[in-house]
Amino acid sequence: MADPASTPLGKMLLEEITPVVMVLCTPYVEESCLKNGLSLIQLLSPFCDFTNIDVPVRTASDQPYRLRKFKLRLFYSSDIRQPNLEVAKERLKKVITHVGEKNFLESSDPSQVNNLLSRPESEMLPSWFQFFNKELVRTLSFSDHEAFDHPVACLLVVSSKDDEPVNRFVDLFNTNKLPSLLNDSAMDPKIMKHYLLLHDNQDGPFNKATKLLADMRNAFGQNDCQIICFNSSQDGKIHHQDNPWAPFKSDALPTENLGCFLNLDDLNEIKDFMQELSSKHIIPYMEQKIRVLNQQVSATRKGFRNQIKNLWWRKGKEDTIDTPNGPVYTFNSIESQIRILGDYAFMLGDYELALSNYRLISTDYKLDKAWKRYAGVQEMMGLTYFLLDQSRKDAEYCMENAFNTYLKLGSAGRRNATRCGLWWAEMLKTRDQLKEAATVYFRICGEDTLHSAVMLEQASFCYLLSKPPMLHKYGFHLVLSGDHYKKCDQIKHAIRTYRSAIPVYKGTTWSLIKDHVHFHIGQWYALLGMYDVAVTHMLEVLASTHQSKTTQELFLRDFLQIVQKTGKTFEVLKLQLPVINISSLKVIFEDQRTNASAAAASVKESLWHSLEEDMIPSSTARSNWLELQSKIIPRKYKESNICVAGEALKVDIEFKNPLQIRISVSSVSLMCELSANPEEDANSSNNEVQNNEDRTSTSSGDINSCLILSEVGFSLEGGETTVVQLTVTPRIEGILKIVGVKWKLSSAVVGLCNFEFNPVNKRVVRGRRKQHSPSSDLKFLVIKSLPRLEGFIHSLPEKTYAGDLRPLVLELSNQSKFPVKNLKMKISNPRFLYAGNQKELNADFPACLKKKMNVEKSGSHANVNKTLQNLFHFPEDISVQEETSLSWPLWFHAAVPGSIPLYITIYYEMEGVSSIMKYRTLRMHYNLQVLPSLDVSFQLSTRPSRSQEFLLRMDVVNKTTSECFQVHQLSSVGQQWEISLLQPVDSILPSQSLFAGQSLSCFFMLKDRRRSSTSEDSIPSLSHIQSDVRLGPQDNSEAFFDVSSSPLADFHDCERSSQGMSSQGCEYKVDFVFIAQLPKGNRDSSSNAPLVFSHHACDCSPSSMSPISWLVDGPRTIQHNFSAPLCEVNLKMTITNSSDAIASVHINTFDSPSSNNQPIDDATTSQPPEHQSGWSEIPIVNDTKIITTEALTTRVPKSLSLESVPQYIWSGTSSTKLVLQPRSTAEIPLQICVFTPGIYDLSNYVLNWILTPVNDGENQGEANKSSGVCQGYPYYLSVLESNFKD
Amino acid sequence: MTSTACFIIVSRNDIPIYEAEVGSAAKREDAAQLHQFVLHAALDIVQDLAWTTSAMFLKAIDRFNDLVVSVYVTAGHTRFMLLHDSRNEDGIKSFFQEVHELYIKILLNPLYLPGSRITSSHFDTKVRALARKYL
Repeated sequence: MADPASTPLGKMLLEEITPVVMVLCTPYVEESCLKNGLSLIQLLSPFCDFTNIDVPVRTASDQPYRLRKFKLRLFYSSDIRQPNLEVAKERLKKVITHVGEKNFLESSDPSQVNNLLSRPESEMLPSWFQFFNKELVRTLSFSDHEAFDHPVACLLVVSSKDDEPVNRFVDLFNTNKLPSLLNDSAMDPKIMKHYLLLHDNQDGPFNKATKLLADMRNAFGQNDCQIICFNSSQDGKIHHQDNPWAPFKSDALPTENLGCFLNLDDLNEIKDFMQELSSKHIIPYMEQKIRVLNQQVSATRKGFRNQIKNLWWRKGKEDTIDTPNGPVYTFNSIESQIRILGDYAFMLGDYELALSNYRLISTDYKLDKAWKRYAGVQEMMGLTYFLLDQSRKDAEYCMENAFNTYLKLGSAGRRNATRCGLWWAEMLKTRDQLKEAATVYFRICGEDTLHSAVMLEQASFCYLLSKPPMLHKYGFHLVLSGDHYKKCDQIKHAIRTYRSAIPVYKGTTWSLIKDHVHFHIGQWYALLGMYDVAVTHMLEVLASTHQSKTTQELFLRDFLQIVQKTGKTFEVLKLQLPVINISSLKVIFEDQRTNASAAAASVKESLWHSLEEDMIPSSTARSNWLELQSKIIPRKYKESNICVAGEALKVDIEFKNPLQIRISVSSVSLMCELSANPEEDANSSNNEVQNNEDRTSTSSGDINSCLILSEVGFSLEGGETTVVQLTVTPRIEGILKIVGVKWKLSSAVVGLCNFEFNPVNKRVVRGRRKQHSPSSDLKFLVIKSLPRLEGFIHSLPEKTYAGDLRPLVLELSNQSKFPVKNLKMKISNPRFLYAGNQKELNADFPACLKKKMNVEKSGSHANVNKTLQNLFHFPEDISVQEETSLSWPLWFHAAVPGSIPLYITIYYEMEGVSSIMKYRTLRMHYNLQVLPSLDVSFQLSTRPSRSQEFLLRMDVVNKTTSECFQVHQLSSVGQQWEISLLQPVDSILPSQSLFAGQSLSCFFMLKDRRRSSTSEDSIPSLSHIQSDVRLGPQDNSEAFFDVSSSPLADFHDCERSSQGMSSQGCEYKVDFVFIAQLPKGNRDSSSNAPLVFSHHACDCSPSSMSPISWLVDGPRTIQHNFSAPLCEVNLKMTITNSSDAIASVHINTFDSPSSNNQPIDDATTSQPPEHQSGWSEIPIVNDTKIITTEALTTRVPKSLSLESVPQYIWSGTSSTKLVLQPRSTAEIPLQICVFTPGIYDLSNYVLNWILTPVNDGENQGEANKSSGVCQGYPYYLSVLESNFKD
Repeated sequence: MTSTACFIIVSRNDIPIYEAEVGSAAKREDAAQLHQFVLHAALDIVQDLAWTTSAMFLKAIDRFNDLVVSVYVTAGHTRFMLLHDSRNEDGIKSFFQEVHELYIKILLNPLYLPGSRITSSHFDTKVRALARKYL
């Protein structure tokens, strides 16, 4: 380690703990000195510091040593007293304030912690700390418990102008004027005196002075009197190059010429005097005193005997004296003398001697409980240890002991503790124990807030300088210090400390800390009136989501207040309030693709793309990949998005309020730049007029400019998120760039947000943007205004019931000056909507659906193909002229319940308007809510007895909650079927209307007309065929709805195709259309006509119907005389093959009904006994009732197995096989033998059939059913005993 | 139960990932930020001490006036910092150990990104219950 004396603490000690010389002077002396702008002490002070005095010193030991450094401290006698506390404080405060002002102006913030650390240490540590500490230590000088501030000598100065200088000398050392230290016997009043006669050369000749000196020498002794002549310069023009007085006169003005009358000779004279005073008088005096005192101390205290005596004596004294400050020691008490001895030794650099004496006295003081003195001695011991550079531990222990002891004294020792702490901290700093030093500084903090603030700041620097730097602590202590400064109204200091802490807390996620720092800096800057800076700091805390509601309110309120005080509207680039979700940015623009509504814009582009695929020419224009599109459209147009002048671009932005309080946002608008298109300008001459000015308007909604910007205002509740749609409408061609968005918070601050700042993925709805940079997504080529069709479907219901059938009108209006033509339309869901004929536009609904008497069937299915492709071409001659509109009928049918999206896109072309765009499309999107209405289900079953007739059961359930439907009609589609009611509806449903929740079941007879026609060999005219059945009032003459004409038939085809049916079905599949009506006035519809509901059911077929049907025919009742052995009954089975394949049928008869598998075996084994009665339980089976084959198979074993008595046997063939040609019928004779009278169920036979397809062109459904087994159905035969006997 | 206690979990990047005022004393606005300041400042000391011992519980490492900072450092250098005004070292140790277990459970959650904020309310309630139990 370096020499302790050269460390900061060592230097400080060598400066501060030095002999004090009391100066007494007459007013004339001061007057002479003041000519130079200096007081006497100031004049002499520069010459009191001897860096190389080189004086041999011999203290207690016999070995002399050489003293190198020596310093005298000069004080006026009036200053030798304990400084006034208030004055001292005031002075310190002034020092701090002064520094604060100075530093505040020139402070520059290091923005990074690294920068902070990279600076040299000396630069980092503010120099004023040293100064402040010195001042603080000085406030404690001349305390009575320490001896090093006691004057060693007294310098009496008298001017040669004074009358009777010798008497003046005597007067000067008058006890009345002497400081209290000498008077109250705290120190020895007999101190060394030195007499100085000051002669001002301006006042007179030197010889008078020499005479006076001679008198003085006579009076006070030869050696102790001296004379100084000064002010030798007459004109006072002497300018000292390096002003020696500057450090001693801090308040000197720079213009002031200090020492102007002193020439070089004067200075040398003063210098020599001071050197002589110290080396010839003061040092020898001190040496001598040390020796004397040392002898005394040795005599009384050294040695074993003295120690014992002392100990015993003090023990005895313990009981008697117990004052709070301990006993009072006069200067001649041995304790004081030891202390003086120690201090003198210390001042003369004999630290060993000093230490031994301090040790000696400290135990005494401790025993005497003279705590303050004890602490003082401990403090000195610590310093001595330090200067001896021995035993660090002891030094620290002593300092800590002293510090704690001072603290124990309470407020009395507080300031001493501060001084001790300062020294201690310095000591630790010297030894690179910065962390400990910081702790000491922290402990110094006491009741004086201002001093604490400085101490805390010093502590923070200790943390900063420690290795490794403890930045967290640094920041914390800076903040603490700032708080203390603020409490003392040292706002500038407070701001400075907080600002120094910012780099530490920069980017921290300790949110409360960050908020605290920034909020307070902001507040304090506002207090100073520096609102601009205040605002920037307040901005940091604005979006503090983690804070409580009250804090957020406070932040916002203060922020707005500050902004208000600035008196201008701030434009803040990164205003956090409200938060803009950049990724939510959505730009909706229209090039050739236009939207009829906002809903259409939100639909996925791919959906439209697939819809428009075969409609727009762009895909067809590019026949192969070599022919790039860039040939068709200039390259630069491809790269940027295109929009049309006069048409608004919409931008959706999401704003979020992160706070819990309400904020109001106003004047939200886009920031856009519209610049001339450079290439366009070069080519065309049209724009030349506007070329001259650079049309770059970034400003807000200036109507006259070429941009129209929308402004939106809203307020956000806490945590609320809202999406705002902003629009910009370019009015002229050029290149439009959306730069960002701006808004006004609480109508005070303007927030700006540039979209380019965050290159996060932006969702641009339109446009192919893979090859684009994000910024070019916001760049648009504005082209000349083009016609734009507006499309609207009138009275399209948002909510309707399933089955709703109605005409709608599509209105296309053209606002522009140019006609459009070549219209095409495509509808995504033709089940719900398709285009009608123009002549249907004004047709009367629903009358137009009714059957006309003169039916023209031609062209009814003309647009089947059209609807299947969903593409509707408007007639060639249709065009929408300028500023007109076109209406076109549409048919609407709510096919299925649910939420149904409808997409309609209309293609149109315009001619000669733009080279870039030849066509446009209009996209419309509607969402329908279709509620379930009537649930219609059909069940078709064959009539077992009649193969060409079917029984149709229709179940209708009203699933609505409130509506009441009127059933109207049921129609079968096509000419093939004849339908008739089995019983009139009146009997089932007298009111003809179906109320909510009600259900209806009707039975119909369905006849295959084609079949019947073959059998009957007559072709009935078509008009007579009843393919419709009226379900409504029978007397109603209202015509049927024509299911085979345009809208119904078309929708039916759609239904068929959507239900996955081919239009050529099997002949046994029937399609039904059920039509109901909702009476007028029930719905809140504008039209009075009843609403028509059509329900389509396709491909109804008898459940599990086999292609083979048969009929057993024969007598039902037979009378037989059973005296004859048996009764033979002949039956006939007619088998029909209704399929298109060759069927081979195998009829197995078996006598036992129990099992199908082993019919013959069972029949033989379980031969019934004769006596048993043939009357067996017969299941009550109604002939009219439909019994499916499955039902029979289950029933047969169950009902008859118990009896299991076949009362008849099949005679003749038990197994018959035959082959049936497609659609042919065959008859097979059957015979049974009956033995007893009874009723017989002739159902125990089985038909096995196998279909062999004629060709492979059969559909899959038929192929699956290529073989099957059918159980026979019941045929009841009653055999009676004939009464008469032959 | 201590009157003042502030518990913070600090990730290895010095980011607080969980904060809870678990003291029984009435909450004060400025107290919360003072607690943050003190705990934040104590990070320096933790940095020094963490490598001098193999124990995870570093005991009371720092103090500010009458507030004491106790720290527990996990193997992943996540620091559990407790600011308290009571002297109950055993309780604090148990508290830390149990919180460590909870923290490990959080870490095991595949949806939790280590070093991100712990938002689990279950964790929060558990920690508060532990604080009531031990502190």
